[in-house]
Amino acid sequence: MAVPWWSHCRRWSTNRASATLLDTLRRCDGRSASSAARAAWSSRPRNEALLLSSSSSSSQINLKTFNFTSLLNRHKSRSLCPALQPRCCRTIHSDAKVEDPFTLAQKDLTSLYDDIRKELFVSKEELKSLCDYYFDGKGKAVRPMIVVLMARALNIHSNRAGDLLPGQRAIAMISEMIHTASLVHDDVIDGSDKRRGKGTINEVWGERKAILAGDFILSAASLALARIGNITVVKVLSQVIEDLVRGEFMQLGSKENGNERFKHYLEKTFKKTASLIANSCKAVSILVNSDPEVHEIAFQYGKNVGIAFQLVDDVLDFTSGASHLGKPTAADLKLGLATGPVLFACEQFPELHSMIMRRFSSDGDVDRAWEYVLQSDGVQQTNFLARRYGQEAIRHISMLRPSPERDALIRLTEMVLTRDK
Amino acid sequence: MLATSCSRLCRGTPSSRARRALSLFSGSGPSNWTKVVSDAEKIVGYPTSFMSLRCLLSDELSNVAMHVRKLVGTQHPLLSTARGFVYDNRNNLQMRGVIVLLMSKAAGPSHTASDLLAQDMVSGIYPSQRNLAEITELIHTAFLVHRGIVNLKEWTVSDGPLKDMQFGNKMAVLSGDFLLANACTGLAQLNNTKVVELISSAIGDIVQGIYYENSSNTEANGPTDGVDVATWEEQTFLSHGALLAKSCQAAMELAKHDKDSQRLAYKYGKHLSLGHKLNSDLQPFVKRSVGEPLSFSLSAAPVVFHRQIVGQERWHQQLQQAKTLRNQLDYSKLLAAVKSERGMSSTVDLCRYHGNKALEAIQAFPSSEARSALENIASAITKF
Repeated sequence: MAVPWWSHCRRWSTNRASATLLDTLRRCDGRSASSAARAAWSSRPRNEALLLSSSSSSSQINLKTFNFTSLLNRHKSRSLCPALQPRCCRTIHSDAKVEDPFTLAQKDLTSLYDDIRKELFVSKEELKSLCDYYFDGKGKAVRPMIVVLMARALNIHSNRAGDLLPGQRAIAMISEMIHTASLVHDDVIDGSDKRRGKGTINEVWGERKAILAGDFILSAASLALARIGNITVVKVLSQVIEDLVRGEFMQLGSKENGNERFKHYLEKTFKKTASLIANSCKAVSILVNSDPEVHEIAFQYGKNVGIAFQLVDDVLDFTSGASHLGKPTAADLKLGLATGPVLFACEQFPELHSMIMRRFSSDGDVDRAWEYVLQSDGVQQTNFLARRYGQEAIRHISMLRPSPERDALIRLTEMVLTRDK
Repeated sequence: MLATSCSRLCRGTPSSRARRALSLFSGSGPSNWTKVVSDAEKIVGYPTSFMSLRCLLSDELSNVAMHVRKLVGTQHPLLSTARGFVYDNRNNLQMRGVIVLLMSKAAGPSHTASDLLAQDMVSGIYPSQRNLAEITELIHTAFLVHRGIVNLKEWTVSDGPLKDMQFGNKMAVLSGDFLLANACTGLAQLNNTKVVELISSAIGDIVQGIYYENSSNTEANGPTDGVDVATWEEQTFLSHGALLAKSCQAAMELAKHDKDSQRLAYKYGKHLSLGHKLNSDLQPFVKRSVGEPLSFSLSAAPVVFHRQIVGQERWHQQLQQAKTLRNQLDYSKLLAAVKSERGMSSTVDLCRYHGNKALEAIQAFPSSEARSALENIASAITKF
């Protein structure tokens, strides 16, 4: 990388709004307390080492980290088997037999789509087929997979058998329903005509029906949620619905100032992508364990994995060929959205600033911005940031008692970071 | 903020689509209806607009209001819906909320629950019931907005630039979703999963109702047969009645009233909504303000009755006879045809039936000023 990550921290820290950005970066900085998280990475990138040594010389960051670290220590001391953590994490990396997360979650997900289709109960056939359209078993069901693995890991952590409680199973299903409902509406908002290799609902049936289908899936999710019968769980997942809309609104505006823009981007990423995963993980923890610190572990894992997932997604929008993601690359630029790689590139090429502000709307903007991004190290820096969030996710999940599901969640984090489609 | 920006929008020309959206707000016309509702508002204390106000004043919706200005001069239905927030809300926009509040007050304080304290009540209504009334309004408004989504493929160049319609859709999707999301978080705060369940199912009902509405609207204009009266009632309950019925029931649940009170409250909400819809469908048939162009939906109740009475064949003949040279419908001819048979009087009878059923349902509640207001509202929908 041409410009080390650390130099950005320094550059930002001299700016007026630096505190906010550092706040967002702060959570990337708890590595000293967690040998487990570090051990999870067989080969640490070179400039991460740079960051580690540099940041320890920065009083500013250390001050900011202080509360965080003490909180962490509290977690450690309360953990059921702190001594086991480093060992079992090392085990993962020497032992090649860690099960593939997809395989491990499969037994709990076999009836997922059937269950969802049962929830979507309507008499009108056409509406029914619209609602079922994306629940055809061809989706990756990443969210339900994380939820069931998390639920089993938490159950074992709470001295129970791993088997899912009925409410946890319902939450896995609801997470996929909320996700799909938001996809259906997003496709109308973005005017997309293709998803998962087929025409979008709005393309096939028109916008009016697409919006109604999305609303219906959401109402069915909300109904299933209420039937779990736990009001705290209802509150946690209702927050997701609000976050999704607020995140979508945040995409409408751009900020003048580079710092604010980055913070805005990370906040939007949390609301649009990570909130659903984080709060679903939290919801399954609430059903099995009353300790708020356990809820926090679940939430933090989901949040950090979610943000890492989206950052990698934003990188792939620049680096992956059209065939891979099932959508044309630079789709975000075409929609006027400035994601991580562009924001980092803008630090090196201030010419991007005006393009970001006009949302790449002038002729040739998309191509020029694309060129700038590829010339810059925006892609590497975004990848690097994603890795930091990934480490943070691993650090949190490592506080749970070891189980095949917990280790699969660690493995999943690595897969999220290394995926190329 | 939405209001001030919207007031500037009011000079656009209403298209046919826009008129349809607007009629959802204006509802039935009799002035005594307006009077019973505004009298009722005084009984329940302060008006219900706090949660709605919070939404309107949020960054998100002020953002929409700013963007909606770009739509002035276009034909996107969102414009007229926004216009409706300013002009017609004095009549009907908060009708559902007021009824939920009156019902709460008429049922009175809880007898069983110890966690509900009578001193928390304002004007005889629990705070959670007030929140519920606002949630009911939020959901209703969200669907007014989502009803106004335009199918882009049906849009022709002569209708105006496609870009405006795309933009209008985007705003309509987002603001409707925003209202629904706020309703969801508001619901969760009521701390009662039974109520979340009831209202979520009401949202599902509305979606199905609107879906039917859309498909039967296109069928009425096409060669296929329209719905019969029983189906009309079923669909109208979904699109116009389920929310109020279930909200009234939920208001009882929030105060821990027994199953019987819940059933009666549901019944009142259901029959009142149906009566109200029949009443507003009848308006073009009973009253005719001079100079206004006559128009009504072919899925309006009197037409549905008429079609069922005269049979498909005659109805198609009458439709043909009412066609003008330019292949448009002469509504006054159709109106005369409907009036010549029992379609209109059957609709009036059905409207009275539902009004009476609503009256019957609230007789079990103790006599009070709130109950009288509910009675007045039920009577008003049977008057023309």
